[in-house]
This record gives sequence, C-alpha cells and structure tokens, in this order.
Amino acid sequence: MTAIAIPRAGAPAAAPPGFALRVVAAEAGKGLRLMWRRRAVVISGVVLNGFLYLMIQFFIGGGHLPLPVLALTLPGLFAYIVAATAAVQGSGGIAEEVNGGTLEQAHLSPARPSLLAAGRLAALAVEGLIPAVLLALAFGLGYGPHWVIRPDALVPLALIIADGLGYGLLMTALTLRVASIGAVVHVFNMAVMFFGGMFIPVALFPRGIEIFARFVPATLGTEVLNTTLAGRGLGAAWSGGTLPWLLVHVVVLAGLGWATYLNTLRRARREGGLSPR
Amino acid sequence: MLDDQRADGRGGARPAIALSGLTKRYRRGKGWLTAVNDVTLTVPAGQVIGLLGPNGAGKTTTIKMACGLIVPTAGTIRLGGYDVQRQRAAAVRQIGAVLEGSRNVYWPLTAWQNLMYFGRLKGLRAQEIRPRAEWLLSELGLWGRRNETVGSYSRGMQQKVAIAAALITDPPVLLLDEPTIGLDVEAARTVKDWIAYLAAGEGKTVVLTTHQLPVARELADRIAIIRDGVIIADLPTAELLGRFAEDRFEVRVAGRLHGLAGALPAGAAAEADAGTTRVTLRDADQGRLADFLGELRASDIPLLSVTQAGPGLEEIFLRLIGTGARDDAATRAAADREPVA
Repeated sequence: MTAIAIPRAGAPAAAPPGFALRVVAAEAGKGLRLMWRRRAVVISGVVLNGFLYLMIQFFIGGGHLPLPVLALTLPGLFAYIVAATAAVQGSGGIAEEVNGGTLEQAHLSPARPSLLAAGRLAALAVEGLIPAVLLALAFGLGYGPHWVIRPDALVPLALIIADGLGYGLLMTALTLRVASIGAVVHVFNMAVMFFGGMFIPVALFPRGIEIFARFVPATLGTEVLNTTLAGRGLGAAWSGGTLPWLLVHVVVLAGLGWATYLNTLRRARREGGLSPR
Repeated sequence: MLDDQRADGRGGARPAIALSGLTKRYRRGKGWLTAVNDVTLTVPAGQVIGLLGPNGAGKTTTIKMACGLIVPTAGTIRLGGYDVQRQRAAAVRQIGAVLEGSRNVYWPLTAWQNLMYFGRLKGLRAQEIRPRAEWLLSELGLWGRRNETVGSYSRGMQQKVAIAAALITDPPVLLLDEPTIGLDVEAARTVKDWIAYLAAGEGKTVVLTTHQLPVARELADRIAIIRDGVIIADLPTAELLGRFAEDRFEVRVAGRLHGLAGALPAGAAAEADAGTTRVTLRDADQGRLADFLGELRASDIPLLSVTQAGPGLEEIFLRLIGTGARDDAATRAAADREPVA
C-alpha cells in the first residue's frame, strides 16, 4: 500500500476558505442525486397531482373546466406542490438518514448544522420546483388563463418558495421528535391542499374558514400571486394587507422551522436521537 | 481500575483521545438510566484499543460521545487536544468513524459519489479528494465498481465503502464500532488487515469495539472492558492475558483413561475426542503434573503431548463481566493477585 500525500485532516483548527459554500453545495448535490435515484416517484407525483387537480376542477365546473377558477387556483397548485414536497421529502429524507446512520456521519462534519440544513433546503426547493413549474406550465400553456405576467410576480413566487421551505423544515425538524410523523405530515399536507387555494379560491371560503386558511402555508402566497397575476401589482397586495401578512407568515414559519430544527438536533444529541433508538 | 502507565500513555506526548469523567444519563420514565459512568480513558497516538463489553454496557454511547454525536451529561472529551464540546469543528477533524448497526454511507449513491460527498463535507476540495478516493477504492478492491450504487454491493463491500468514507480525510483517529459484524470470513479478514495496516503502517489511533474477542486479541494493543457503563479493566492485551495466566496443563493421551478416569486429581477434567483423551489439570504445579504423568506410565496409557495453557480472552472477559464461573478457583486466585477493577 502506498500512502498518498493529502493534507492531514487534523491540522487546521479553522475552516479552510470556501468551506461553508462547499458544505452547502455538497449537501444540495447529495439531495439532488438522491432525488434523481427516485425520479420515478417524482414523475408519478407530477402525474397524480396534475390528474387530481384537473379532476377536482372538472368536478367544480360540473363537467367543464372553469377557466376563471383555474386562473385563481393554479398558483395554489404551484404553492401546494412546493410546500408538500418540502414536507414529505424533508421528513422522509431525514427519517431515512436517521435509520441508515448517515445523519450521524453527516454530523461528523466540522460544519455547523445550519449549513447542512441550508444545503438540504436548497435540494428540497429544486425538488419541489421541478414538478410545480412543470404542472403550472402545462396547465398555463394548455388552457391559457388570463394572467398578466409582470416581473413583480417574482416576489410572491419567492415568498411562496420560502414559506413552503419553512413549512418543510418544520416537518423535517419534528421528524426527529415525533414517532408517527408520517401521519402528521399527511394531515398538514391535506390542510395545505384544501385550504391553500389549490381547489377553491380562498376568497370563496366562509369568513371563519377564510381566516383559518390564511394561517395555512401557501394560502397568503397564493393570494398575493393572484393579485399580481390579475395585473393589480404588489401595491394592491400591500394595501390589501395580504403582502404584509405573507411577509410575517414567511418570517415566522421560517424562523419557527429553523429554531425547531436546531433545537431538535440539539435534543437529539443529548438523547442519542441522531440514530434509531 | 488499574490505571497502568503502560496502558495509558507514552510519557508527555499529547494523547490522541482523552476521556475524563465521562458520564451519560438518559431519562427513562420517571428515573434515570446511567449508560456511561465516570469513564476516564487516555489513548496515546498510534495505539489500537479494544473496547469490549456485553450488550448495553455503554460501548457505543462512549464512542458516540467521543465523536460528538451524543452530548455527555458530565466529563470532557479531547481529540488531539481539542475539546469536543468547545472546539467541536477542530475536534471532529481528527476523526473518522464507522458506527455499528448503520449503513454509514448512502446506499442509493455510488461509492465514488459517497467519498466525494463526505470529503467535501469535511472541508476538502474535489482535487484533494480524488487521488485519495482513487487510492482507497483501489486498495479496497472497489475501483472497478466505483460507479455502481452501494446498495448493489455485498455486505462486505458496503462496509469497505464505510471504512473508505471514514478515511477520506486521512484522520489520525479512527473510531470503529463493530466493524466486522455481519461480515463473511473473507470480508472480515480484509477489514482486519486494514485495521492492522492503518495502525502499524499509518500510525493511526484506533478505538475498536467488538463482540468478536479474537478480533480484539488480534488487533488491539490494549483492551478496556466496560460493564454497566464502568471501565472494569484497562490493560495492555498481553498483560491482561498474563494476569489471568494460571498453572494449567493440557495432557493428551492415546485412547481412553480407563481405570484412571475415576482417580483424576482435584480440578482435573477429561474429555475424549476421536481416539484421544485430553486431560486438563487446573491449578497444577510441576509436582502434581509429574505425579499424574507417572500414573499414566504405570497404567500403560500412551502419552501424546503435554502443553501449558492459559485462559483465552473470552474466558477472561466472561470472568470480568461476571457471567462466567464466579466460583472458579482460578478467577478468585487472579482477583486475589491483583484487583483489575
């Protein structure tokens, strides 16, 4: 056996330049490679979500596709897929890593857990955006809803993604604490599906349900996106109160997800919960 | 516990691993379970230490605390002089680990992708990882299948990938929790050869937990035995075996003992096996042995061999953890000579 000269791992006490970026990129790259390995599941999800959405729209339209409703609910479908993918794959992925022992190996890295989480979220964002964009494009181009496409629509789009990732991070974090997390994620995702504006525009809900729905991830983002796609601009969304509330929702959910993630990790380290118990 | 200088250190050099007063308690219902209790252990650079103990003794908890994966309730851990709790980043750069009961690497990814991922995660650039990964995979016989998913490998090959991943940054300390468990003879041999090479050829410090006592005897310079979270013995392997050495002889004769069988000396046992009989004389001095050999000659029983034997590591282990023959005179004698725990 011949030794190859590489830098001794133990030599530097400080992180080498670009270390944080490399860790985030490595974690994101791993997530995307794992997604590619289960691409059949991703494709099935796209087809099933698209079919379900279409059937519900036909049901609402009494056998016809109501284009005004489609224009208002398609952003809801987009938001739902981003959020649901982040929750399901985030939770399932970390559960798999706990069971496989790879979460422990990843946490033998000198990197801070927040860098690993950032890489994980980047991969989840891509994994959610691919089916969301595919379906939005398919229905958008196929049925031609009356949208006013303006650059300011990128703001609610970005906030929808951030909101969905915050929700996904919260579910990922809870996976380290809650034994039956699969059922919990399923229930929350159903809530996002029904109250997030994917089937029925939120404004059509009864008042009490409308208020409740606005606490659900994706709902406020869908409303703001609908406002901009209707050509009324961000100013209207701001003065109407939905954009400020969306910002609050994103900050609170992302903060809650982040704090819960770091807290459950700390607790798992105290209790040996990074591996199966 | 025997805090033996020969076991603990080599003069003033900074130890590779230093555990001090390490304690871990878990809340269980309304009470507390002490998994590890006040463990103090110093491992000098380049030493292979076998950490042995029955299931639930605290081996894995100790290893995981040393890795920084479990936070201790009390005590400190230093790896290469860095405190795992206070200087975690620097401390974990000192180690590579293969943990028990887990895959350790991503089965849906290829061996190559795993090594690149873990190398980057530990701060190396791609150009630094590639030659090392190539060398590791070649030496472990995996180069030809580096682009296949680890899930498609045999159990032995998967374990080799886990070892390669632990070694990708060339860490000075290796923590191997049951590295040969579940492997066939050939794969276990490769892993054992590697551990021996890493210690002797590359000077790595290795902490090895195993239930396979021959593995520990073969590889470890020093053995620490843990029971109920407490280190009850910590000695160089040869000394541990020597401390339990006893005046025990094995006499092999052709055929059966016939009339002598009922008149064996106290503490002797006879066992017939394929045309021969093996007689074990415990606590026998040379005089008693000579008397017995004289009786054999007088009875015209052909003598085949006489060997002096000592207890194996397994027997010592069982005695120390208290599940062996507690009333065994040799155990008492060994315990009387020197308290091990």
